[in-house]
Amino acid sequence: MRTAIQRTTVPILVLLSAAIIVLGKADQLLFDSLRTSVGDAVAPVLDTLAQPLNAAGNVIDRAKMVVTTYQSNVRLEAENQRLLQWQQTALNLAADNQKLRSLVKAVPETAVSYVTARVIANSGGAFVRMILVNAGSADHVARGQAAMTGEGLVGRLTEVGDRASRVLLITDLNSRIPVTIESSHVAAVLAGDNSERPRLLYLPSANGVKVGDRIVTSGEGGVFPPGLPVGVVSALDGAGPRVEPYVELSQLGYVLVVDYGLARALPQPLPVLTRPGRRAKLDGDDGVVR
Amino acid sequence: MALKVFSIPALPRVNNGAARMLPVATLLLTAVISVLPLQIPGYAALTPVFTLMVAYHWTIYRPDLLPPLALFSVGLAEDLLAGSPIGVNALLLLLTRLAVLSYRRYFVNRKFPFVWSGFTLLTIAAMFGVWALNCLLNLSFLDFRIAVIRAALTIAIFPLASFLLGRAQRAAMGTG
Repeated sequence: MRTAIQRTTVPILVLLSAAIIVLGKADQLLFDSLRTSVGDAVAPVLDTLAQPLNAAGNVIDRAKMVVTTYQSNVRLEAENQRLLQWQQTALNLAADNQKLRSLVKAVPETAVSYVTARVIANSGGAFVRMILVNAGSADHVARGQAAMTGEGLVGRLTEVGDRASRVLLITDLNSRIPVTIESSHVAAVLAGDNSERPRLLYLPSANGVKVGDRIVTSGEGGVFPPGLPVGVVSALDGAGPRVEPYVELSQLGYVLVVDYGLARALPQPLPVLTRPGRRAKLDGDDGVVR
Repeated sequence: MALKVFSIPALPRVNNGAARMLPVATLLLTAVISVLPLQIPGYAALTPVFTLMVAYHWTIYRPDLLPPLALFSVGLAEDLLAGSPIGVNALLLLLTRLAVLSYRRYFVNRKFPFVWSGFTLLTIAAMFGVWALNCLLNLSFLDFRIAVIRAALTIAIFPLASFLLGRAQRAAMGTG
């Protein structure tokens, strides 16, 4: 009897795994709650383990800084001079902008607030680009919100638990972000393909794009604020221009989760754009309070 | 034949509870380690498959202490944690057990290079399988080079993992 059980356990579990793979593919929401609860459960452990790693990263950065102090100082002094001029320009433009806005009675911009979260896990898999961060619905973070750093866009929150959330990076195969080319205001979709440089899709014509063009979020869909920096066009090839993200996505320590008030102000919650093949899901039915 | 494949030969009994837990504990530990955000460029995509090393080691030396259910649960947990397609790691670890158990008698009490070459073959097959499965699940042709580099890293790190696991095993159970 014992050997019979022993003999059948592995085949049964193999079949079960295969069934789970098929089911997980067929209905990607099926295991979502399980995913978020595992994330929540392990978050404190990962949080603790990730801290020394961050600290180690900081030590290395600091050591590098000590070595390059002199050159950095010279460079920064020059940069500071330049930035002070820019600051004056920006202040003048802001004043101008405000005056003109009041003249044309423009709708005031929605206030944006941020939650800072530490990266506590990365996908650890060859074919997924995801990170887990230590902020959840307890920190007023919600599905669909943008994650960024000071440099630019990192990705989109796809699953939100109580204590931890998963961010689909802009380089992931399933990531699609509505963007515009800043100089020409041409709309496009930034599509990840697991490489370090995602592509621009659905451009009306490839002629309007040059290497070096800045790409920013378009704000279409209402969940992302418009104008978040994403990256620069780095190469033009057949299948679509490549975009070099501003953020070094493999070295993330902290991210800012952007709460763009608009999503909350809408009377009907927007179906959150997620992986293709995933059915659109309304917020509220997943227990996440916005 | 089937009996030979699935039955586990008698191994010296380990009475110490903590020692009995060692294989499952190390498997769980490596699952957590593999998702830790090391800030090394490109590391996330190329993380070595630590759980494969642990599953291989214990299936050769103490298959009795690393039951299929543990492989299944930890594999599933790793998928859930990493955000990879659910079930893939569970399947990988279980198939590893099936494959290794059927050739186990060739590996026990053999010199390390032989064990390592067995692991090399296993890793190449596993990485190719995982790549093919991911291609199928995403319905697109994924970068094969990542699978190759990941396999190479996993094979390269195996001696260290094997050394540490062997030390832990001797310390806990007294047998090599």
